[in-house]
Amino acid sequence: MAEALVIRNLSKRFGGLRAVQDVSFSVNEAETLALIGPNGAGKTTSFNLITGYHRPDAGSVSAFGRELVGLRPHDICAHGLARTFQVARPFGKMTVLANVMTGAFLRNKKPEVARARAREAINFVGLSAKEHSPARDLTTIDQRRLEMARALATEPRLLLLDEVMAGLNPAEIDQAVALIGKLSQRGLTIVIVEHVMRAIMAVARHIVVLDHGQKIAEGDPQQVVANADVIRAYLGTGYVHGAPGGGGC
Amino acid sequence: MFATVAQAVVNGLLIGGIYALVSIGVTLIFGVVKIVNFAQGEFVMIGMYISFFLASRFGIDPLLSLVVSMPVLFVIGVLLQQFLIRRVLALGDMPQIFLTFALSLLLVNVALLLFTANYRTVETPYTETTIHLGVLYIAVAKLIAFIVAMLLSGLLWIFLHATDLGKAMRAAAQNRDVAMLMGINPDRVFCVAVGVALALAGAAGSLLMPFYPAYPMVGQVFVLMAFVAVVLGTLGNVTGALIASLMMGVAESLGVQFVGADSGLIVVFLMMLLTLALRPSGLFGGWTR
Amino acid sequence: MHRLSSPGVLWLGILAAIALVLPVAVPNAFAIDIFIRVLLFAFIGVAWNLMGGYAKQLSLGHAAYFGLGAYTSTILLIRFGVSPWIGILAGGVVAMLASLPIGALCFRLRGPYFAIATIATAQVLMLLFLKFRDFAWGAEGTTLPNLGDAPLMMQFESKAAYYYIALAMLAVGLAVTYRIERSWMGYYLVAVGEDEDAAEAIGVDTLRIKRHIYLISAFLTALAGTFYIQYIYFIDPNTAFSFNVSVEAALVSIVGGIGTLWGPVVGTVLLEATSALLQSWLGSGHGGVQLTVYSLILIAVILWRPTGLIGVITDGYGRLVHPGPARAQEAPLDG
Repeated sequence: MAEALVIRNLSKRFGGLRAVQDVSFSVNEAETLALIGPNGAGKTTSFNLITGYHRPDAGSVSAFGRELVGLRPHDICAHGLARTFQVARPFGKMTVLANVMTGAFLRNKKPEVARARAREAINFVGLSAKEHSPARDLTTIDQRRLEMARALATEPRLLLLDEVMAGLNPAEIDQAVALIGKLSQRGLTIVIVEHVMRAIMAVARHIVVLDHGQKIAEGDPQQVVANADVIRAYLGTGYVHGAPGGGGC
Repeated sequence: MFATVAQAVVNGLLIGGIYALVSIGVTLIFGVVKIVNFAQGEFVMIGMYISFFLASRFGIDPLLSLVVSMPVLFVIGVLLQQFLIRRVLALGDMPQIFLTFALSLLLVNVALLLFTANYRTVETPYTETTIHLGVLYIAVAKLIAFIVAMLLSGLLWIFLHATDLGKAMRAAAQNRDVAMLMGINPDRVFCVAVGVALALAGAAGSLLMPFYPAYPMVGQVFVLMAFVAVVLGTLGNVTGALIASLMMGVAESLGVQFVGADSGLIVVFLMMLLTLALRPSGLFGGWTR
Repeated sequence: MHRLSSPGVLWLGILAAIALVLPVAVPNAFAIDIFIRVLLFAFIGVAWNLMGGYAKQLSLGHAAYFGLGAYTSTILLIRFGVSPWIGILAGGVVAMLASLPIGALCFRLRGPYFAIATIATAQVLMLLFLKFRDFAWGAEGTTLPNLGDAPLMMQFESKAAYYYIALAMLAVGLAVTYRIERSWMGYYLVAVGEDEDAAEAIGVDTLRIKRHIYLISAFLTALAGTFYIQYIYFIDPNTAFSFNVSVEAALVSIVGGIGTLWGPVVGTVLLEATSALLQSWLGSGHGGVQLTVYSLILIAVILWRPTGLIGVITDGYGRLVHPGPARAQEAPLDG
C-alpha cells in the first residue's frame, strides 16, 4: 500500500509557543486518518503546515512522493491536497455554484466544464437546491457543505477536513460520516481533525493523538482509546485507572 | 561640519516631537479600533486653526490654547467614532479606508472654502527667539513644542499602563473578543482611543502655530510622516511610533541639509518603501494586521 | 457575472446608439468637453475597477501609470518625432513594466497599507519627474507642438474626434472587463478580493493573479494618460501624476458600483454631472466646492450603500419590470 502523506519530524514554534514538536506519522492511500487531541494540541497548525500556510521550522512533509515544504498553498492544492477550514470561508459575494466553480477552474479553465464539475460536487454534498443562493446567506452547516464541495471540485487525491462535524446534531453527523465513507470508497485519502468520537470511530481505522504539539499515541481506535496517555491528556490523571473509552470531546 | 550635522540632528529631533504626536494618534487608532485614519492630519489642521483664531481674536498664546484645542478635538474624536467609524467597522477594509479618506478630503476642502488657501501665522514673543548652546542654535518655540510633545507622550504612556481604562484599551487592541468577555466595553474604549488620538493631533496643531503657518492642506505633510513612522515603528506600537517619528525627523532634516531643500519628501518616501520592502512588520517586530 | 439577455442587449444597443450620435446631436463644444471627460474618467475608473473592484487591491496611486503613459508618448513625440498612436502603446508597455516592481513591493501589504504604498509610489514618480529637467522638462513641463489637424499625430481640429477616441477606449475597457468577468480569471479575481487564503487553498495563485490584473490595469490607465495629454496639449508632473486622478479613478468605481461592469460608468456620470451642475451654479474659482461635494457623496455612499449606487439602479429597474418584494441586496455573482 503506497503512502499518500508522510510527515517527518515536523516542528513549528510561534514566539515562545511550541505549537508542533517533532511530529511524525504517515497515511496510506485511500486510508482515513483521524488526528485528534485536546484543544490547542496543534492539529490545525499541522494542517496549516501541511498545506503551506506556515513554513515549518524543521521536518518534512511529502505527499504522493513530492516534498511539499516551501511550496505555496496553491501549488500544494494543484498537487492534489485540498483542505477545509475550521471556520468556513466562503466567497460571500458569489453564489454556491460560482464558489465551487472557482475550485473547479483549477483543473480546467473552460467555464462550461468547470460548471459541470462544480454541479457534480454540489450534488454530492447535497446543496443542489441552493445552487444560486449567495454564499453569505447560507446557514453555517450549508457553508461547511459548500466548503467541502469547493475542495472536492479541485479533484484532490488527499482531503484534509478540519472539524467538519462541530455543532452537528446526530442525524447530520450520520450524513457527514456517510459522505466521508463514499469519498473513501472512491479512493480518496482523508485526514480528519475531529472531536466527535462517534464520527471518528465510524470513519477512521488509524488515529494519531496530539497533545501540546507532540504525538502521544497512534494506532487503531481500540488501542488509542485505552491508551493511558490519551486518557490523561483529555481527562486528567484521575481517570487513568478508570474505565477505558472515556476519551471524548 | 560637526556643527552642521549636530544642528540638523537637533532640528530633526525637535520637529520629530510633533511628528510623534501625530503618529501616536494614528497608531493608537489603528491598534485599538483597527482602522487607518487617513484624516489625522486634518485634525492637526483644525487644532492649528483653533489656535490661530484664539490668538488673532483674543490674543491667547497658542500654547495656552492647548487647553481649548485638546478637549475640543477629544470631543470631535468621540463623535467621529460614535457616528461614523462605528458604522463601518463591520464592513471591511474598503469602506473603512475610503471613509477616513473621504473625511480627509472633506475637511481639507471645507477649510479651503471657509478659510481660503492663505497661510495664517501667529506672532508670539518667542517666535523668533533662539537659545545658543555651544555650537547649536535652538529655536525656543520648537523646543517648547518638543518638550510638551514628550510630556504628552509620557502622560499617554502612563495612562495606557497605569490606569484601568488605559489597560482596557491595550487589552482591546490585543484581542477584542477576549476583552469583551472580560467585561470591557469596546464602544467606550474606542471612543476614548479616537478622542485621545485626535486630542494629540490638536495639541500638535497648537504647538505648531508659533512657528508654522496654518493652511488647509497643512495636515497632509504631517500625516504622511505619521504613516511612515507608524509603519516603521510597527503598527499599533505607541513607543515604536514615538521613536520612529524622531528618527524620521532627523532623517528628513539631514536630507534637507545635505541633499537639497525639496529632498525631504523623497527621503521619507524612500524610507517607507524600504521599510515595506525589507521589514514590513516594522523595526520593533510584533504583529502586523 | 452577467448573462447577456435580450433586455440587456436592447439597452446596450440604445446606449451605444445614443453615445454614437451624441456629438452630432449636441454640437456644443463645452458640452462635448464634458462628455469627453466623462468618457475618459469612466475609462480610468474601469481600468482601476479591474484591480480595485474585483480583486479588492485598493490602489490610490494609479496616477503613476497615467503619468508614465503620458510622459512616454510625449517624450517619444517631442524628442523623437514618434506618432502618439505608437506612443500610446509604448506608454502602456512602460506602465506594465513599472507595475511589476511596484506590485512586487506593494502586494506584500494588506489593506490600508497597500493603499498608502501606492500613494507613495505615485508621489515618488511625481517628485522624480519634477527633477528630470533634461529629458522630461522638470517642473514647468511643456506644451505639445500644435500641428493643427494632424490625425496621424493624434491631433484634431474637431472635438468630436477626441470624443470618438475616448468612446472607443471606454468600449475597449468595458469589453475587456466583460470578457474577464465571465472567464476563470473573473472568478479568481473575486476570490482573491473576498478571501486570499481561501483562494490559495483551492489552487488560486494569488500573487500571479494580482500581478496579471495589475499589468492590464496599468496598461489601460496609461492609455488614458496619453490621450489626456494629447487632448489638453500640455504636460507637467503635477498634471500627469496628479493625486486627483488616483482619487477619481477609485471614487467613480466606489460610488458607482465596485466590482461591477457598469459601476464606474454610473459613478462617473453621477460625479461629473454633479460637478458640471456645481460649476454652472457657482462658477469656477471655488476650488473646494467640487471636492467637498464629492467627499460628501462618497461618505454617503459608504455609509448607506457601500457596494455602490448601481445596486440602487438595478433594484429600481427590477422593481419597475418585476414588481414584487424588492431584494435588499444586489445580485450575487452567479456561476
